[in-house]
Amino acid sequence: MAEFKGVTGKIARVDLSSGTVSVVETPEEIYKKFLGGSALGVYYLFKEGVVEPSVHPFSPENMIQFMIGPMNGISPNARSVIVTKSGYNFICISTSGGRAAMELKFAGWDGIQVVGKAEKPVYLAVIDDNIEIRDASKIWGMDTQQAEVEMRKSVLSPLEYRESILRDADLTPEWAALRPVKRQGIGAKRLASSWVIGPGGENMVWYANVITEGARAHGRYGSGAIAGSKNLKGIVIRGTKGHRLADKAKVLELVREIQASESKDSFWRSYGTAGIGASSANIEDSFPIRNWQWNAWADPANVKALEGPFMDTASFVKQTACPGCALHCMYLAEVTSEDELMDGTITDMPDWEAMGMVGGNLGYLELPGAMPDDSFTGDHWDLVEFQAKCQHTAFLHDYYGMDYIEGGSLLGLLMELRQRDLITVGDLDGIDLQWGDIHAVDAIMKKIAHREGIGDVLANGTWETAKYFAEKKGKPEIMNYPVTTHRYSQPAHDTRGFDKDALEYVTVARPTAHTGGGGAGFKQADYAAAIAGQNAKSAVDSLVYCNFAAGHWAGKTAELVKAATGWTDFAEEDLGKVGARQYALCRLFDIHTQQLTDPKTEWDMLVPHRWFNDPLPTGPAKGQVAYDGDPSKLFDEALPAYWKARGWTEDKGIPTAETLEELGIADIAEAIAAQHR
Amino acid sequence: MSEEKLHEMISELQERLRQGKIGRREFLRYASLLGLSLGAAEALASCAPQPTPEPTPTVGAAPQEPTATPAPGEPTPPPAVVEAKAGHMLRFNPAVCTGCLMCAVACAEKWATEYFPEETKDVVNLEFSRIRPMRSQYIDVVNVCTYCTLIAWAEGSDKAPCQQVCPEDAIIVVPEGEGKEGFTGMGYMAIDRDKCQGIDLCGRCLEVCEDQFGSGISFDPIEGKSQICTMCGGLPACVDACPEPTALQFVPLMTNGRYFANPPEAYFELMYAKIFGKRRDL
Ligand code: SF4
Ligand code: SF4
Repeated sequence: MAEFKGVTGKIARVDLSSGTVSVVETPEEIYKKFLGGSALGVYYLFKEGVVEPSVHPFSPENMIQFMIGPMNGISPNARSVIVTKSGYNFICISTSGGRAAMELKFAGWDGIQVVGKAEKPVYLAVIDDNIEIRDASKIWGMDTQQAEVEMRKSVLSPLEYRESILRDADLTPEWAALRPVKRQGIGAKRLASSWVIGPGGENMVWYANVITEGARAHGRYGSGAIAGSKNLKGIVIRGTKGHRLADKAKVLELVREIQASESKDSFWRSYGTAGIGASSANIEDSFPIRNWQWNAWADPANVKALEGPFMDTASFVKQTACPGCALHCMYLAEVTSEDELMDGTITDMPDWEAMGMVGGNLGYLELPGAMPDDSFTGDHWDLVEFQAKCQHTAFLHDYYGMDYIEGGSLLGLLMELRQRDLITVGDLDGIDLQWGDIHAVDAIMKKIAHREGIGDVLANGTWETAKYFAEKKGKPEIMNYPVTTHRYSQPAHDTRGFDKDALEYVTVARPTAHTGGGGAGFKQADYAAAIAGQNAKSAVDSLVYCNFAAGHWAGKTAELVKAATGWTDFAEEDLGKVGARQYALCRLFDIHTQQLTDPKTEWDMLVPHRWFNDPLPTGPAKGQVAYDGDPSKLFDEALPAYWKARGWTEDKGIPTAETLEELGIADIAEAIAAQHR
Repeated sequence: MSEEKLHEMISELQERLRQGKIGRREFLRYASLLGLSLGAAEALASCAPQPTPEPTPTVGAAPQEPTATPAPGEPTPPPAVVEAKAGHMLRFNPAVCTGCLMCAVACAEKWATEYFPEETKDVVNLEFSRIRPMRSQYIDVVNVCTYCTLIAWAEGSDKAPCQQVCPEDAIIVVPEGEGKEGFTGMGYMAIDRDKCQGIDLCGRCLEVCEDQFGSGISFDPIEGKSQICTMCGGLPACVDACPEPTALQFVPLMTNGRYFANPPEAYFELMYAKIFGKRRDL
């Protein structure tokens, strides 16, 4: 095998049906085309035929890939990415921070691909080259936090583990008389990292996710459900080989520059994404309130509950970082509340998406009886209770291992359907789900995570739930209320206010992602710029590092790739090409696996009714809707223009043969593309 | 501890000091371990006339003023450079540390380049680090040697526990004033790599550390030999690398390091209890 730098050249393929582990060697030119992480994962979904419609998401034939890239290891801000076919039958590319990505590189792997299905619950223990499939019956059923603790304890490298050889005679007699040797040997260090699913994933809740370090999540698209369908509880990793680099001195120099720049970044260093809630979302008229019926409070005083400094005073206890990162965007919190259910809950932040989707969106930020249009008449303790509800709901999602964007959107939908009397308390197994009611949320989430009663329907997510009730109740108008694009929930950024252009959500390769990039380009209808942004972000997910740090990496990324890998001819433009490849493949994946004949109507136009039809009732964008309320401006003008700029067909958005050729992926994609043009 | 017992122990210490069995510095450390203020301990030390003044250590690089022979009963003034560093320790604050691992990268690089320049010219490997921030469910604990010593009157030795159990005398204490060029002349511990048998054959140093103190020793990934924090001889690379003010400091702490030692799991659980007010298994 060629001597790789930056990457290791090795991916582990674990077949849980046969209980075997093999090594997949990827040629260097494939790494140069796809780098690693998301793009390489998508490449393998094509290469291994997972893209085919015959591969059901929950079948043993589906492949779940835990991928990393050339930057993982010694570079700062590194993340892992999970690439698979989502339970929603579209592409799943979902990233998370934490140490496990670094540890996997140190163990000598660029990824772990899991196929098949284990007969009984298992977890994978990776210690350098050695990958064991271990019995997980003792941790199956455990919440994400406790399962991780148990898994991590079970993995020690030969450098920190040994049976006892020490004897009392090795001590002085006085000492041995006082405290004889316990003969436990060596094994106290805790250096492993892990990825794990909770009850949500075990029960194949479609939006179940994979968690690490208690509260970091590969949040979206239900990777946890796919792991659960394979009886895979988690992966725990300990690597002792380090990160091999072509030009170590150069890499370390660039890394130090990035870290020095981050150390001065007071935005991220002060409460991470908590800088968004008050300082931009409410002002841009984009704060989800009660399932997006409002996007701003008439009285900005409500938002105080979720401002960084306020939360810090009330409940934050400590900041924490991913390896090599000086931004430490995550704050851990201990909830303060008068309500026993919530008081003392130990969780993180909420970060911005949680503030939006399981905060404002659930009516948590108004006093009982008050509406978002009313003045705020409470005091700081009322604000603390608002915050507590948001934190507790985020905690429940992490605890069960579920996406709180999809989950928050689903709960918001149900509350709105109750508000409009479109469903009854009986439809929700007697749980009276009203705006702001944390106890009802707690009760219904238990049902969802375990697929009990109505929870079995809700566990299939927002859009399926709406469809179920629309049919059951004979009320098609229910379909006006799920705020989903491509049948997956919109994150806490709206298209009617000043935050996002609707086309961004329609086109982003990871369905309805808020971190797809290109935002400014979309707003100015400059599609070349928008596409450049999207492509750049795809490269970020392939390397794999953190978008929050992208500003500090600017201008250094290609240099870092070069210094790490030794690909002397690698240039900044190559990063964009990686993204273009990923976009073309993702587009084809979604169309092919769903066998869409008219992608525009069957897929692209599946957007929230609310975008075009419900003008914002308050705030600076009062009265606004997306695209002036005219969907044809979006779908018949903007979208074809965007497709054209990508080199895709203008009627269906299929990459042309020339585009695939130019990107060097015709070999894996043209046969599929030709079926759909 | 009862006052009577305390009195007894202090007298015993004074006696040992008088007999020259322990040095003045050790007397002060033990006395402060027993809860005495530094002032009180100094006063007591003065009541125990020293047989001869401790020899003044010489420091390689730094020139010193010749020291006058101290009057009996007065503390021996150590050379300026040593005074700045002796008794200094790494201290970390788990409430501030973010677990970013920059300290570990700095340490790993420093020692990998020192001992394995060829083998590690193109690899960064945290296994060479003497300092390892560990994480368990929201708690970051920095794992590093805390410089424990046994307590002579109780445990029959005043060596470091790891040094005491090493069958090869591979753990050496470099006395103040000696040591590597470029170091400040503070005393520190180090491994004699020629003597160390490594984790495959021995590892008693770490075993005793984990048995009773912390987990302050690691083994390099190439030869599997013991690694211990040398405090970089007074210029800690890890402290320089830490981006969080006060998370990791090099501060004078004139005491036995076992004061700070905890095994990782206990440390996680205690910190969890402190930060979140709850007990849980970690
Ligand atoms: S003081 Fe030096 S040897 Fe000790 S942990 Fe820090 S960098 Fe490593
Ligand atoms: S460098 Fe500082 S903040 Fe980072 S892990 Fe080490 S002690 Fe903690």
